[in-house]
Amino acid sequence: MPYEWTKSADKTSLSLWPHQSMTPEGFVWFIGATALLVSLPLLAVLGSPVVWVLLLFIALAIWGVWRAIMANRTARQIEEQLTLTGQSVVLSHQPPNGPALVWKANPSWVTVHLRPKGPVENYLTLRGGGREVELGAFLTPEERQGLYDDLKSRIR
Amino acid sequence: MADAAAHEHDHHDPGFFTRWFMSTNHKDIGILYLFTSGIVGFVAVAFTVYMRMELKDPGVQFMCEEGARLFADGTCAPNGHIWNVLVTAHGILMMFFVVIPALFGGFGNYFMPLHIGAPDMAFPRMNNLSYWLYVAGSSLAVASVLSPGGNGQLGSGVGWVLYPPLSTAEQGFSMDLAIFAVHLSGASSILGSINMITTFLNMRAPGMTLFKVPLFAWSIFVTAWLILLSLPVLAGAITMLLTDRNFGTTFFQPSGGGDPILYQHILWFFGHPEVYIIILPGFGIISHVIATFARKPVFGYLPMVWALIAIGALGFVVWAHHMYTVGMSLTQQTYFMLATMVIAVPTGVKIFSWIATMWGGSIEFKTPMLYAFGFLFLFTVGGVTGIVLSQAGIDRAYHDTYYVVAHFHYVMSLGAVFCIFAGMYYWLGKMCGRQYPEKLGQIQFWTMFIGANLTFFPQHFLGRQGMPRRYIDYPEAFAYWNEWSSWGAFLAFASFLLFIGIVFYTIRAGKPITENNYWNEHADTLEWTLPTPPPAHTFETLPKREDWDKQPSH
Repeated sequence: MPYEWTKSADKTSLSLWPHQSMTPEGFVWFIGATALLVSLPLLAVLGSPVVWVLLLFIALAIWGVWRAIMANRTARQIEEQLTLTGQSVVLSHQPPNGPALVWKANPSWVTVHLRPKGPVENYLTLRGGGREVELGAFLTPEERQGLYDDLKSRIR
Repeated sequence: MADAAAHEHDHHDPGFFTRWFMSTNHKDIGILYLFTSGIVGFVAVAFTVYMRMELKDPGVQFMCEEGARLFADGTCAPNGHIWNVLVTAHGILMMFFVVIPALFGGFGNYFMPLHIGAPDMAFPRMNNLSYWLYVAGSSLAVASVLSPGGNGQLGSGVGWVLYPPLSTAEQGFSMDLAIFAVHLSGASSILGSINMITTFLNMRAPGMTLFKVPLFAWSIFVTAWLILLSLPVLAGAITMLLTDRNFGTTFFQPSGGGDPILYQHILWFFGHPEVYIIILPGFGIISHVIATFARKPVFGYLPMVWALIAIGALGFVVWAHHMYTVGMSLTQQTYFMLATMVIAVPTGVKIFSWIATMWGGSIEFKTPMLYAFGFLFLFTVGGVTGIVLSQAGIDRAYHDTYYVVAHFHYVMSLGAVFCIFAGMYYWLGKMCGRQYPEKLGQIQFWTMFIGANLTFFPQHFLGRQGMPRRYIDYPEAFAYWNEWSSWGAFLAFASFLLFIGIVFYTIRAGKPITENNYWNEHADTLEWTLPTPPPAHTFETLPKREDWDKQPSH
């Protein structure tokens, strides 16, 4: 479940992140198996200068797939953090690179909205502080529905 | 900040040029791949028709020193160079520019992201680059046929495997163009495979663990992996050919201490996985087609996935069975022989699982299913002759005969190409929103089935009689079955023309389809939950689990 509530004495926070289907262990397995299999033909050409040329191309391929998967992982490392205290509601949206985007409002005036047919199904937004901001646009529709019910009970 | 975007309507339809020439949409790029490979396929098939015309009767009638002609006019001095060029071009085009782009580039791009519920490929602009590299490569391959080459004539006739010393001694720059063409195709495929791998690994819908992924998406992943593992090796090999030709290196020249056999080893280290690169996406398509038209879930999903993986892995350790005759030690030959036969096990798992899927099912003989049946039967025939050829001793007799030609055309022409046809008929309606005419589709199947079998089955006999491959002419004794084979090729070509007609008729005037799933509930992957044809952007919001998680056996 890519969102999580944590509670302490004076505040409640919620963090959300997009789903990534590959685990870090999966990445290790994939690159390991790739490197192992791709080095097989080198057996046939050991002791000949051919081995160096092949090695160059093989290294290039492994580097390429490594970079690509890593780029995809970082591009999806978005984290949204919602902090509720008695006096304020703070939402910060941390994109993969660049500074966090922050929204602050007074909880007494914040309203929670769910548009079943919004830009995405069950589009979840918070209205307050003169703006309307989205929350968890990267979650599944069911998760946003669940989150909406959670928020409704916590923000009144 | 992520301000709410509820009131924005900034989607507008791109113009024709933007949509098709600068496309970053996986569905559009898939369609581009399918069309381009169709055009290149037509060129490659036209070459074979010309070759079969020449082989129809003993003697040389069309490929003359006086020039190539379409109508025999009596005087003709045989010109083997034209023949060699056509053989080479047919091989290069079919291996690199037709079948992989159609199955992997076309269907893979269009349907793999849909099957896993991803909004697009991981790197859409790199996807566009892959496609245009492929187009550039195809143009170079065709240009190579028309540019100055060996024997003071146009084109180079060294065989698609580009063995040195033939390929390094060929004059002119036609050979260099062919090498560049393969380079570009390799770069295109590697970028494409990196894209597919990243998409498959990291962009599956939540809950879709590896062993819940539909079989077609699995087959595309294994294919992408094989491409990533084998094409860099080929790129290295042909780069060395290039430097041997142009810069005086001697990687494969005995005169400078090099070894031409080494080239064969690395070529086939790529070449054998290549065979599976070609056929695996077809396996994926066939699984879905059979499940749909037998109205049963695929039998043994997990063994099917492991068989795909096993075939992929085994494909890397059997390469030297293509070169039993180069003088390997007995131990080496024994190993490659045994390893090769082991591949029959996972392949058998797949064949039997398909049969078990149909067992007790309610089978409906629509065109895609006919092609799936055709594939199943003919691929098995090709597999059985493969077992025969895997025997190092028997291979001494069959090496470089028409028996080999018959074998690999059964697995590729009747195996992989039938998968392309099955996929086209299965998904054409989904892709263009109009249904193909069923009657014509069935006629097209039967003419193709009869034509292709008539072409290639007699070639087993020719091989057993001892007719060697890659020759423009043959003695009288081989005339009978060559004539049959040629008539088969003409019939198959007519069927191919009919297919082109059907596709264009369907796109322009086919019966419009309104329902999402125009087959039945056993076509249960995610593309069937989308409107027909799907909108430009799909799964921008993650799919619901109950839309794809339908098989309790998962």
